[in-house]
Amino acid sequence: MIKDTQRFEPFTRDPIALVNESGEWVGPFEIDLSEEQLRTLYRDMVAARLLDERLLLLQRSGKTSFAMEAAGHEGIQIAIAHTVRRGFDWLFPYYRDHGMLLALGVPASEIFGENLATRADPAKGRQMPNHPGSKKLNAFTVASPIASHIPPAAGAAISAKIRGTGQVVVTTFGDGATSEGDWHAGVNFASAQGAPAIFVVENNRYAISVDLQKQTGSENLAVKARAYGMPGYYLDGMDVLASYYVMQEVIERTRAGAGPALVEAVVYRYGPHSSADDDRLYRPREEVEHWKQRDPLERYRRFLEKQGLWTPDWESELREAVEGELARELEKAEAAGPVPAVWMFDDVYKEPLWPQIEQRRLFEEELGA
Amino acid sequence: MATMTLVQAIARTLDEEMARDDTVVVLGEDVGKRGGVFLATEGLQQKYGPDRVIDTPLSEAAIIGAAVGMAAHGLRPVAEIQFADYVFPGFDQLVSQAAKLRYRSGAQFTAPMVVRMPSGGGVKGGHHHSQSPEAHFVHTAGLKVVSVSTPYDAKGLLKTAIRDDDPVVFLEPKRLYRAVKEEVPDEDFTIPLGEAVTRRQGGDLAIIYYGTVAPEVLQAADELEKAGVHPEVLDLRSLMPWDKEAVLEAVSKTGRVMIVSDAPRHASFASEVAATIAEEVLDQLEAPPARVTGFDTPYPYAQDKLYMPTVTRILNAAKKLLDY
Repeated sequence: MIKDTQRFEPFTRDPIALVNESGEWVGPFEIDLSEEQLRTLYRDMVAARLLDERLLLLQRSGKTSFAMEAAGHEGIQIAIAHTVRRGFDWLFPYYRDHGMLLALGVPASEIFGENLATRADPAKGRQMPNHPGSKKLNAFTVASPIASHIPPAAGAAISAKIRGTGQVVVTTFGDGATSEGDWHAGVNFASAQGAPAIFVVENNRYAISVDLQKQTGSENLAVKARAYGMPGYYLDGMDVLASYYVMQEVIERTRAGAGPALVEAVVYRYGPHSSADDDRLYRPREEVEHWKQRDPLERYRRFLEKQGLWTPDWESELREAVEGELARELEKAEAAGPVPAVWMFDDVYKEPLWPQIEQRRLFEEELGA
Repeated sequence: MATMTLVQAIARTLDEEMARDDTVVVLGEDVGKRGGVFLATEGLQQKYGPDRVIDTPLSEAAIIGAAVGMAAHGLRPVAEIQFADYVFPGFDQLVSQAAKLRYRSGAQFTAPMVVRMPSGGGVKGGHHHSQSPEAHFVHTAGLKVVSVSTPYDAKGLLKTAIRDDDPVVFLEPKRLYRAVKEEVPDEDFTIPLGEAVTRRQGGDLAIIYYGTVAPEVLQAADELEKAGVHPEVLDLRSLMPWDKEAVLEAVSKTGRVMIVSDAPRHASFASEVAATIAEEVLDQLEAPPARVTGFDTPYPYAQDKLYMPTVTRILNAAKKLLDY
């Protein structure tokens, strides 16, 4: 059921924010989250940040080949994980969403397993780092080609509508994705069908090195929704509470049958595009520092402190607990051991066809098995 | 038992499968009210409604990509691409999403879906309504590929494709949609993927073919018979997997083989079959395997009937094989 009072307007001039940079609540309504819920949002953002650091460390120490940092994106990502119905709604994430998946409930051992290509990876070591997925939680396994998951997301949403399941489908992607033909194809089809699809752009202003002005002539990305006949919410994605309340409202209206919506969450990635990128070639350090001052964790910490929900002791306890858990999960992922070489022939089809069977035999000879 | 054309067999089969399994949905351009530009989905929307027979926006990426998401979500979509020549805007969805979903997710997510597309020349369509793009799909691990040439096979193989748990590219030779009528049993039957069918038995040379070129191959075979040459004629029907055993057996039986297809020659499916024959049964061969194919040019308009293997081209190849 949609609430009588709609709190947010689409197509605002400025990004929707509810907590200012000093951590003061500036929202026009009362917060209706419990202290526990408020604290959990912080805890999950910290966990996402620490996971991010761990993954980078795995790459730097040579344990894996690649890392993609997501620091700066936590506000919107954690908000999504907390506003969908976990394991019921579907998510179509992209390659910078590991923090969101962790908060959704994907075990860190699976995320580490995917990054290390061990048996702890439910996808059996088939993809490069930062391409997780979880059937259990309806999180569609990440694919590298930008925006290629948008038409499948539209399809899943159309399927949910046809079958009246009551599910919504939340799809995330970067700003560069909005330039792809597949993005248009998927958003347009979902719109034509009035499907329960929510498209969330994590706009960090850069597609590797190409800044937003070179990506589009539009004033922002939210306005693109107008042409598709859906609301476009312009959101401060580094404000976790604004992200939470906007996503909650958008999910509610879409679940109630109002059709798809677009959310532009303005974020910033502090690190380079990936461990193979050098962002000093295209971003001034002052710009990075400027955005770090708006850090989603720090801003929200100030907020919690003002609410009397944060102390330095709690912070240390929290970090210690998360670090300990991540360390145990990493250990579990490493202990699972590398995936066997012959697994490369499985899951091409439900049952291997004769080419896989013959080639596997040749490969085993080559291995001396 | 009813007599029907190939396109009628397709429409009938879609109807039967939709009646049997309510997760089967059809989507594509003009598949609803219009019943498809070739009428392969005629009457289905009236019968099953717009939720199960979906008129899509004009976007092959949307059609194939949405089918992937529907399939992962629990439906069994049958997508129609209006002409195989128009699959390329949806090629990324086939190659990056459909073909790799099971693999990249460790079989957590799968895409049981069919992408039907009218292929091949002979309808005065020029190069954007005449191509046979099967090699692209066979080259993409994760896709199964079918190429039918008769109404009976269309029914049996489309049923198999719809019930298969992997994505299947289903090629329908558009020039044969209404070219022949054949008796097709009313009852439910399936034909396994990867099983060729012998159209003529003979010991002098083997002709391996599939799809669009069927009429020329069968006519050439008749003329060879009249001249006292007995060809073994094999319709592959399914290209991934393909019936290697039957091919090698036909080659061993005859020692002379040609592979006939209207696709361009380079890196073609015919080349794959020829290479396999050379690798595996070279000692059985009396002559080098011959590829009788389209040319390495775009499909031309004015030479519509001359581009694809003609009876003359097939007979010339047979003569060369026999004289070798």
